[in-house]
Amino acid sequence: MSTAESRKLAWPDLAVGGRAAFDFSVSDEDMARFAALSGDFNPLHIDDAFARSKQFEGRVVYGALIVAKVSRLIGMELPGRDSVWASISFQWNRPLYVGQTATLEGVITALSEATRLMELKLTLKVGGRTHAKGNAEVLLAGG
Amino acid sequence: MQSSEIYQQLGGIFADVFDDDAIALKPEMTAEDVDGWDSLTHIRLIISVEKAFKIKFSTAEVGKLKNVGEFVDLIASKV
Repeated sequence: MSTAESRKLAWPDLAVGGRAAFDFSVSDEDMARFAALSGDFNPLHIDDAFARSKQFEGRVVYGALIVAKVSRLIGMELPGRDSVWASISFQWNRPLYVGQTATLEGVITALSEATRLMELKLTLKVGGRTHAKGNAEVLLAGG
Repeated sequence: MQSSEIYQQLGGIFADVFDDDAIALKPEMTAEDVDGWDSLTHIRLIISVEKAFKIKFSTAEVGKLKNVGEFVDLIASKV
């Protein structure tokens, strides 16, 4: 298992408009591992022919797997190590397919100094087009 | 804004945050008096009040609060 070092943004480092983003794509192996992990073997996610019969172009990436990428964004980058994820709301407006390159971006939209809580606007784009969007609340744990 | 109006609006926020419509706010009420008023719900409460009243608190202001009455006074000083 590979590990990476998380950023360690402190409260003074945070400002409305601050952002983090990365590109990713979901592989066949990611899908298989997520199916095993979650226990969700819905054929929409594991059977191309079934997914096409439902008017999709192929297997649809698990929505929760995209949320797992949000976990990476928060836990590793914005704000990184000292984050405590408090809430999320998310809308999936267009499917993400296996192998597609997507960009996940988080932008700080509000900061509450009294509680050290930040609000993030989340956007998932493929080729500049928004496929999913949402909001998250993240606490910066003291120490 | 009158203190009574703040209590009324704050009551709705408490009901939502603590999922309890029966909470009757009183000035002397503290976290000890409300089931589930722990550190995380306290944060949710502060955030909800900031949004509802369109105000911001500082860490020091929130840290000094001893009861609901002082919370209402703090809100009143900002609206």
